[in-house]
Amino acid sequence: MPHFPWQHLVLNPLAAFGILLTLGVIGGQIANRIARLPAMTGYVLIGLIIGPASLHVLNEDLLRAADLFVNLALGLALFESGRRVDLRWLRAERTLLLSTLAYCLLVFAALCTLLSNAGLDWQSSTAMAAIGMATSPIVILEMLREGRAEGQVSDRLATATALSSLLSLLAFAIALGSAHLLNNHPPEDSLLTPAWLILGSSLLGLLAGLLAIALNHWLGHQRQQQTVLLFGLIALLVGLAGMLNTLPALALLVFGLATRNLRGGESVSEPGLLAGSHFFFVAFFVAAGAWLQPQALASHWPLTLGYLLLRSAIAMLFWFLLAPANCLTRRRGLWLGLALNPLSGGSAMLLSMSALALGTQAGSAAASMMAVLLISELAGPWLCRLALQQTGDICKEQ
Amino acid sequence: MLEFNNSTPLTLGVELELMIVNRRDYNLTRGSDDLLLLVDRQTHGYDIKPEITQGMIEIGTAIHQGSASMLQELQAIRQLLVNSAEKLNLGLAGGGSHPFQHWSEQQIYPKARYQLVSELYGYLAKQFTVYGQHIHIGCPDGDSAIRLSHYLARYIPHFIALSASSPFYQGMDTLFQTSRLTSVNAFPLSGCMPGVENWDQFNDYFQDMARLGIVASMKDFYWDIRPKPEYGTVEVRICDTPLDIVTPTLLAAYAQMLARRCLEDEWQDIRPERYLTYSYNRFQACRFGFDGVLVDGSAAQQTSVQDDLLATLGSLQAHATALGCEAELAALRERTLKRQSDSQWLRDVYRDSSSLSEVVRRQSACWMHDQRD
Repeated sequence: MPHFPWQHLVLNPLAAFGILLTLGVIGGQIANRIARLPAMTGYVLIGLIIGPASLHVLNEDLLRAADLFVNLALGLALFESGRRVDLRWLRAERTLLLSTLAYCLLVFAALCTLLSNAGLDWQSSTAMAAIGMATSPIVILEMLREGRAEGQVSDRLATATALSSLLSLLAFAIALGSAHLLNNHPPEDSLLTPAWLILGSSLLGLLAGLLAIALNHWLGHQRQQQTVLLFGLIALLVGLAGMLNTLPALALLVFGLATRNLRGGESVSEPGLLAGSHFFFVAFFVAAGAWLQPQALASHWPLTLGYLLLRSAIAMLFWFLLAPANCLTRRRGLWLGLALNPLSGGSAMLLSMSALALGTQAGSAAASMMAVLLISELAGPWLCRLALQQTGDICKEQ
Repeated sequence: MLEFNNSTPLTLGVELELMIVNRRDYNLTRGSDDLLLLVDRQTHGYDIKPEITQGMIEIGTAIHQGSASMLQELQAIRQLLVNSAEKLNLGLAGGGSHPFQHWSEQQIYPKARYQLVSELYGYLAKQFTVYGQHIHIGCPDGDSAIRLSHYLARYIPHFIALSASSPFYQGMDTLFQTSRLTSVNAFPLSGCMPGVENWDQFNDYFQDMARLGIVASMKDFYWDIRPKPEYGTVEVRICDTPLDIVTPTLLAAYAQMLARRCLEDEWQDIRPERYLTYSYNRFQACRFGFDGVLVDGSAAQQTSVQDDLLATLGSLQAHATALGCEAELAALRERTLKRQSDSQWLRDVYRDSSSLSEVVRRQSACWMHDQRD
């Protein structure tokens, strides 16, 4: 019997990436044309269908092999998100800064209380609440790009997203440190862990920012070279942050922040980096869908619904009340709160990081969070688009 | 029948169209509604309104006797706008065109008049996202307004060279000192007023055009200079919006001096031949600025825009003294001698930075905070 290669066909990472992209685009178009849903909901649904939890076209090993592209997508989004934070604006518009800080603290406290009352231990509750503070930069940026949204709600949404991600990562690092302490790790470990995660990541991001500005200036007129260089630096930073056990997400956010706000950094991402990054984002959303575990919802739906509803209600009420101080009408404030719904795109990675520190309750917390992510990944983009349409930031012509 | 509402002769007013840009990449942004909403939360009596697309705004001054008080008002309007723009993280900038915006991305402002223009002119309406300065000069009657409109046509290249600030368009250096006027040229009723000799003849012309269904109001004429009967003025519409707040007042002072000479001398030399060279001279000024060649049809000779402007400025001393604008005359003379042009400054910034975003950032800093360096 002759031996043919297709008899034992095993997908390699490149083929897996091809599948992510090809099926993702088809799914996005179907969602868009038939159900009038945002394309990214289609990407996630396709991922869910072909992922390990359903048809198993892609298994865990292949998904891990495609991590390279997924992490790069997340890196690009976080870098761009950091660039949306204009410190000069926040000095003139302190209300936005203070509002975002207060909103994050409120969400954190409310989610902590909910999760503790639901029977989770303190470590798991704080870690999950920290994750809940953040809105997903990748979803928000993709939504703004897809709808060509412009206006005060979009600007404030982008800034609040970046700041909330920053705060979420800081809170997560501290929660991880305290979890270490409570789980009888050596005390120096408990102090060094958050310090290393926060300071190490920030320093990496800052150094990358300085390097990018200097090299960008040195390259001068060569726009294409500048773009390639920036892609390279982002990939390098994602890799380095991982190798050094810091938080890549925090490093990338600081990188973006630095290039936007340090002298000479104005033209670092010119021409727009996002325009050339779309295919990474498609792969990211399909992979994110593939990692989802729908079965987690069956056992954790009460907590999941409570978590999501509480988060949305606080956001909408908070931004509704503070709308006039934020130069918005109350109505637009309410929609801004709704637009903040999508959960952070890197939540799954953070969860895997915390698995060891959270100890015995890690499994339960992770399952709850997966159920939360399942709903958020599917509903979040749609809610965000609806909000931006209602505020007029996505205009009818789009 | 159009009524010309007589006004105090030689009074002045200007309108400036401004860019609204984001502070991320300094592209145009749909910010006019948000900006106006915030500005109108404060009590003010200034004329600040939206323009045809949402990345534009127009400010207008009250009626002034001279350019000094006009400058004070412009500075007050600017302060009001800058305070609001800072809170919204928006940039405001002068300049005749945005260097790299794409016309297809612009949104027509939701106002009946602009929607009509958009329906009639299609993509030209969005391409009309260009920024000009309009100067109004008070006229005692309609006949004077017609005379003054013809008189000022001779000096259009001067205004173009002095205000030129749109060398880039759609991401490219056009090699023009002002590319804005090319967008205006596309409209069927652009160019210059027909050779009518007085207000009655103008009225006949207007009625014919209205009867034929070509125009409904004076707003349908996109001429470089046109009478504005409801204000009782002649409106010079040829200038790019300058990058700073002072230049508009210098341009207004120049128009005022020329108008005084026209009205004092009771100038009547309205002849169709005067327009033989109009388009060519206009093109020369748009393309080359101060270095453009002007053709004097009646004398059959050529001169440069710079020389012609210097000669004209030299002849206006008595009028400057009478109007109290000698400082403005001196400033105009100095700029002309130095060939000081906003377009050249923009090109210099681009040469240094190789970034059009940086060009707009500097443009914005110039208009909002008087920062040129």
